[in-house]
Amino acid sequence: MKDRRLTPTDIIAKTGKWFLLMFFLFITFVPLLWLVISSFKTNIELQTKPFNLPAVWQFSNYVEAIRISGLPQLFLHSIIIALSATFLNLLVTSMGAFAFSREKFRFQGALLNLMLAGVLVPIIAFMVPYFKLIGALKIYDTLWGLILTYSGINIPISMFLVTGFMRSIPAELEEAGVMDGCNFWQRYTRIVMPLSKIGLVTAGTFVFLYAWNEFIYALLLTSSMKARTLQLGIQFFKSQFVTDYTSMFAAITLTIIPSIAVYIFFHERIIKGLTAGAVKG
Amino acid sequence: MRKRNKHWKGIILFILPVLIIYGAFFLYPLGFVGIVSLVKWNGVTPMRFVGLQNYISNFANPVFQTAFRNNFIWAFSLGFIQVAFAALVALILARRPPAWKMLRTIFFLPNVISKVAIAMMWLALYNADYGLINTLLGKLGLAGLEQNWLGQTTTALPAVIFQEAVYIGYFMIIVLAGAMSIPESFYEAAEMDGASVFQQERFITIPMVRGILVTSMTLAVAFGLRHFESTFLMTRGGPANSTQTMGLLLYENLGSLDYGHANAIGAVLIIVGAVIIVIIRRVFGDREAGAEARQ
Repeated sequence: MKDRRLTPTDIIAKTGKWFLLMFFLFITFVPLLWLVISSFKTNIELQTKPFNLPAVWQFSNYVEAIRISGLPQLFLHSIIIALSATFLNLLVTSMGAFAFSREKFRFQGALLNLMLAGVLVPIIAFMVPYFKLIGALKIYDTLWGLILTYSGINIPISMFLVTGFMRSIPAELEEAGVMDGCNFWQRYTRIVMPLSKIGLVTAGTFVFLYAWNEFIYALLLTSSMKARTLQLGIQFFKSQFVTDYTSMFAAITLTIIPSIAVYIFFHERIIKGLTAGAVKG
Repeated sequence: MRKRNKHWKGIILFILPVLIIYGAFFLYPLGFVGIVSLVKWNGVTPMRFVGLQNYISNFANPVFQTAFRNNFIWAFSLGFIQVAFAALVALILARRPPAWKMLRTIFFLPNVISKVAIAMMWLALYNADYGLINTLLGKLGLAGLEQNWLGQTTTALPAVIFQEAVYIGYFMIIVLAGAMSIPESFYEAAEMDGASVFQQERFITIPMVRGILVTSMTLAVAFGLRHFESTFLMTRGGPANSTQTMGLLLYENLGSLDYGHANAIGAVLIIVGAVIIVIIRRVFGDREAGAEARQ
């Protein structure tokens, strides 16, 4: 590859290659950058000089954004929901995955496959039953409604990731524990769980991001500020901010910071988790 | 009968919570959608059995027909165009050009940000008055191409679909992982035999990632059929139903308490999704992909 002379085809291929990469860089990243930079401008600057840096960085947009949007409360709801849904999901799936990966029992394969098949189901088809279910449980328009829904929806993906991970833990480690007198419960808490940390972090990252970013069921299962999440709140920015676009951009920027923070810390895990399913096949 | 596992009490205790929640959020809804799709029901008065009437009147409804057609356009665009571009970008990055790691990380970034935030951003980009796209066209001397992108029936659907290009990183990451797991020695051998880069990709990489491409295509088509969020946020199915999708109609029917028609749409989403997955695997799958489906 190194010492080949450049033919016209090579030059076209090279140009095409970089054009494609730049095009997607432009689509995926430049709008985000533009949003963040615009959030520091005045509205007049946004209209007249959309591509320039702000003359004076308007940090007051952010003060305005927090004041108008009710962001602190929305943030609190989203944090509680995302953390609780992640915790609940990991609690039940790690217990289930432990039994499915480290024990043998009847209908084991069928039950596991049944759960894993859930990843193929279009969740939006379940709008009416979820609406009815959450209503019947008397948790409509509460944080609990969304916590339960988000942890339930993510059972297939978590079971897939955590069961897969637990299967890769060598049986000898557990046998040693049994020799030391560990019972069923202690094998779970003292041996398998600590060794599954990476698998749990991967699954947890997926559930957290899902719950943080979810929109449809937040829309369907809440009706007031009592349980409104950040994603639902953004929808109302247009009417709240009216023509104060730059403050609205500031508010949107604030809502995406947590996702980006999670991504910076866990992107290796996210990529591994995502490719585990596809590449193994 | 097989010997009972001596930890059976523990096992039941451990699998019961996850099975109960799975049952509540997957099995019960599946049964619910199937049954309620066959009745007339507003959630209050008793259900009345109407057979396949909800399905028939859905398919006879021109708005549903548009939505159904749009979902297929979505499925095709994501399954073939988006995955093709994602694969192309993945093959380029797999050859480790300068800054490939950074590009990989950035391309994937929009997938972790909420669809709502990104849709709001693109509403601003597409805006007819101050939107960045029209401004850019004006600056490039292409003012004639300026459009009210989301406001007219001819451009709304292409504009909403084009916005989905921001999610290219999802399938790129999947294909890239596959392409990078191919042993370097394969390429070295091909290089020795004088194979060009194109030939190497054509005869080594693509056959080796075939299973992954089929998986990506299946997923992308499924995403297209169940598409909801960005359309809901950017156009709500308008103007004049031109961007309508089945998911949006389901939501509208739910809002007007027409649970029979809503669930008939849900059932169509599930059934068509399953059928398409099977067809794609039949047509494009090979032994390898078949093994994957069984897993």
